[in-house]
Amino acid sequence: MLDMTDVSMIYPGNHVALKNINCRIGSGEFVFIVGPSGAGKSTFIKLLFREIVPTTGTILLDGQNIPALTSREIPFMRRKLGIIFQDFRLLPDRTVYDNIAFAMQVIESPHRLIKRRVMNVLDLVGLRRRAYAHPNELSGGEQQRIAIARAIVNRPKVVIADEPTGNLDPETSRDIMGIFQEINDDGTTIIMATHDKEIVDSMSKRVIAIDHGEIVRDELNGVYGYEPEQ
Amino acid sequence: MSLSSKEYFIRETGKSIKRNGVMSAASVSTVAVSLLVLGMFLLLFLNTDNLAKYLEGQVEMTVYMEDTATQSELEAMGKKLQGMEGVVKVTEVSKDQAMARFKKRLGDQAGLLKALGKDNPFPASFEIQVDQPSRIRDLVPVVSKMPKVETARFGQEVVEHLFALTKILRIGGAILIIFLCLATLFIIANTIRLTVFARRKEVVIMKYVGATDWFIRWPFLLEGMTLGFGGALIASALVDIVYTSLMSRIYLTLAFFPILPAWPTLLYADLFILACGTFIGALGSYLSLKKFLRV
Repeated sequence: MLDMTDVSMIYPGNHVALKNINCRIGSGEFVFIVGPSGAGKSTFIKLLFREIVPTTGTILLDGQNIPALTSREIPFMRRKLGIIFQDFRLLPDRTVYDNIAFAMQVIESPHRLIKRRVMNVLDLVGLRRRAYAHPNELSGGEQQRIAIARAIVNRPKVVIADEPTGNLDPETSRDIMGIFQEINDDGTTIIMATHDKEIVDSMSKRVIAIDHGEIVRDELNGVYGYEPEQ
Repeated sequence: MSLSSKEYFIRETGKSIKRNGVMSAASVSTVAVSLLVLGMFLLLFLNTDNLAKYLEGQVEMTVYMEDTATQSELEAMGKKLQGMEGVVKVTEVSKDQAMARFKKRLGDQAGLLKALGKDNPFPASFEIQVDQPSRIRDLVPVVSKMPKVETARFGQEVVEHLFALTKILRIGGAILIIFLCLATLFIIANTIRLTVFARRKEVVIMKYVGATDWFIRWPFLLEGMTLGFGGALIASALVDIVYTSLMSRIYLTLAFFPILPAWPTLLYADLFILACGTFIGALGSYLSLKKFLRV
């Protein structure tokens, strides 16, 4: 599914963000990317959806080398991914329904399919009754659920989440992780960068720890392994 | 492109124009003013060009014959000239007709000609009109060498000045039109840039969920085209009003002035303004989006 070989990322000013990363993530896996602030987690995540291009190395997604894609090919690669951010990134002037439908409209899905799928994912995240509310009428947890719904509405093969619970209280975070688990149970690969020790320790999934730009630990049923940062 | 995408583009364009109501109105007005100047200049340019062509068309060559030329030689010469390439019209002016013309020109002082007695010093001549003024230069040396031809002349200086003037007008006009188009482009690009900037988050999300660049571009292009077309519509209406009222005034005071008629000139000018506004609107949007699509 996802295969990273000798991936290094050096930002201008000779700042090394990632050094010789080699890892393979199989279809249907649930992987946490952990590490202290500035370790290279976000760089790792950004490389996966081609927001940035590595200085060296290959990143194969379904056999396609992401760094080598042309600008015309990038949108089609991104359709295989669902991306979720810490700050939700919802459009404030659109309803919940429109925010999710938007992800299907931009890939030119037919009307009927949009309606059915949006309602399905709203059921999955438990927010069908808020379909016509605006994001500013929702709590942080509800907004993140909408962001998750938007990420999965196109049925991506991989969901990439960058600190999805970073702005949420522990209880809401647990609810959100429940949704991720459901998505994973359906066979979708989940790659999540997180600082949330409690969640990582309680879910017992594969953990890839990055420190100073290098993979220092890769364990199945792993733990967070750091003291939580304040 | 699917039907639902087309609906989406049109809906998004409408929403965006409505959302940026004041900015859109300001943009349409500025584009209208800019295209009005462009349109008026275009008409001025077309009319000057037409005037230059008209004056060029007035230039003719005169061939003066020797007094020894007989009537049959003159007739043969007339036929020969008529058969030359590019010659449109040949008018024979006999010695008597030349004298009569001169008398007429002298008016009250025609009495002076009595001093000449029965002598008529005016030569017979041919006035030749050609299809293209530039032909005259080549015709003169050929005609000059024909038998019984005293001399062949044309208003060389006038023609050359006219050629130079027309050339300047054409180059200057083209530069000014390009300059005005660029100004319009700048106005529309800036308006769209503001719209895109306000919606940059949306653009980024679109990119993340896998929208192609063209899918993102279309609503902005349509918005630019609508603003450009709206401005152009106002401009062409104003151009029509100004031109027709100017035309009627010119006809009243300078009836001989060869001004281009409203039909079909204004139709062409309006089509040019509308096409220009719409195209520039699309181009302005395209250019201002480039930066934001690099995600």
